[in-house]
Amino acid sequence: MEIFIAQVINGLSLGSIYVLLVTGFNLLLLVAMIIHFSFPVVVVFSMYIAWIVLGLTGNNIFLGVTAGILSAILFNIITAPMFQHIMKKRGEVDINSTMVLSMGLGMIITDFLSHSINSGFPIAFPDNLTGRAEGAFLKFGLISMSRGAFLALTVGVVFVSGLFWLLYKTKQGRAFRAIAEDPNGAKLVGLPILKTGLQSYALTGFLGGSTAILMAILLGSASPGLGDQLGHKVLAVSIIAGLGNLKGGLIVGLALGILEALVQGYWTGTWSNAIAFVIMLIAILVKPKGIFGMKL
Amino acid sequence: MAQNKPAGTTILEVKELSVSYGHVNALKSVNIEVCKGEIVVLIGANGAGKTSLMETILGVNEVDSGAIIFEGKEITKKSADKIVRSGIFLVPEGRGVFSSMTVTDNLLLGAHHNLKGSKEKMDYVFSSFPILGERKGQVAGTLSGGERQMLAIARALMSSPKMILVDEPSIGLAPKIVNDIFDILIKLNKEGYSILLSEQNVYKALKCAHRGYVMETGKILLSGSSEELLNNSEIRKAYLGA
Repeated sequence: MEIFIAQVINGLSLGSIYVLLVTGFNLLLLVAMIIHFSFPVVVVFSMYIAWIVLGLTGNNIFLGVTAGILSAILFNIITAPMFQHIMKKRGEVDINSTMVLSMGLGMIITDFLSHSINSGFPIAFPDNLTGRAEGAFLKFGLISMSRGAFLALTVGVVFVSGLFWLLYKTKQGRAFRAIAEDPNGAKLVGLPILKTGLQSYALTGFLGGSTAILMAILLGSASPGLGDQLGHKVLAVSIIAGLGNLKGGLIVGLALGILEALVQGYWTGTWSNAIAFVIMLIAILVKPKGIFGMKL
Repeated sequence: MAQNKPAGTTILEVKELSVSYGHVNALKSVNIEVCKGEIVVLIGANGAGKTSLMETILGVNEVDSGAIIFEGKEITKKSADKIVRSGIFLVPEGRGVFSSMTVTDNLLLGAHHNLKGSKEKMDYVFSSFPILGERKGQVAGTLSGGERQMLAIARALMSSPKMILVDEPSIGLAPKIVNDIFDILIKLNKEGYSILLSEQNVYKALKCAHRGYVMETGKILLSGSSEELLNNSEIRKAYLGA
């Protein structure tokens, strides 16, 4: 039983990461009206930026974390005009062209990471960030939590509740939801579509950058291929939950994390990806529009 | 054609406006004028260009040529959010309320550019439309057609507009509700709002408006006071079945 609880807790931490990534992806889909499936690649890019800055500053955590978060916000804002250029001409979700743009950006980043940083070898984050050397952060019998697991879970809960607060209690959130429901209707009531879209790029950049730091702490390392791997999972989670469905993404993201952790705990870690995808395949065959329905 | 020189100060003037979607000319050299305190109605069948004209005034469509002047300032190339800020608000065809959002949220969207005083405005709207006050926590998707139309009009009021564009408010509503909606528009007009209305319900619309324009295939065909248009034999034949 303790192993089960321990693995569920591990799964929730990993799931929090998925939830943050899926939420960022869904926000861009709903408000900026783009399919940015390379968003997790941008997040991994920010992990690398944090790693570089940590290396340059003698493992100064504050600077490393700040650089990681800022780089994701900046990357999103700098690439926004390209996406918005397409959106301005189409006015509605244009899946094909924004997907190609996102794919291109993802490939450039992955190539850059595998050629130009650390000769393409995986990078490892310093112990003072990950807390590896200290051992368990929290411990009750067999159940223990690393610093990364604890942070991923708490920050995940705080950020996701903060996001729902923003969406349902603020003026900006109201505009986000209106654009998500009906972009043309939102234009007719005078909402500034492009400006509000840009705010969603900045917000998802902040979410992505923070997720990058959590991943650095939780995983302790990163490799150039990590972004693509996560990109597939995030796209799958989003579609299985129902594209653009924030609450669905929350549940399926956590469920995927728990599933992977249980497979690792009771069977074998190397098969956790394959098993997760088999179950997701079954889910999409049974519910082609996603378990919780699309919200576009 | 009847002499159509409105009395009073002009609030909105559309001059030689042309708009096209691809190869289709949606509006061809359209001229209209609305004075402060007037209800002006655009009459025409589906596809005559009424909605195109309203959306172009609101800044949604790209203008080929011509000018739109609101309160003496040209707004032709401005974006929709700037035009809404300057005091024009559209009540879209088919209501255009956000069905997954609550009545309160829909109303606050109308006040997006100026949330100051939105509490008082909301109280005023709820006193004018008590049914909306009763349903303020419900999502708009659960409202009836008439209630949605009221919500769309109330949302316009939340923006403190100087001028309201109302696109086909009677469409798909029961006759009794249609009467209620027209009563509401007349009441708002008496409170000082200038209204540009588009309608296929020609008789009712002309009964409530001061003046009207008849549109066909993107052009203004006729214009005149409501009485002149009601007595015009062509209009009687084409729209009133007499």
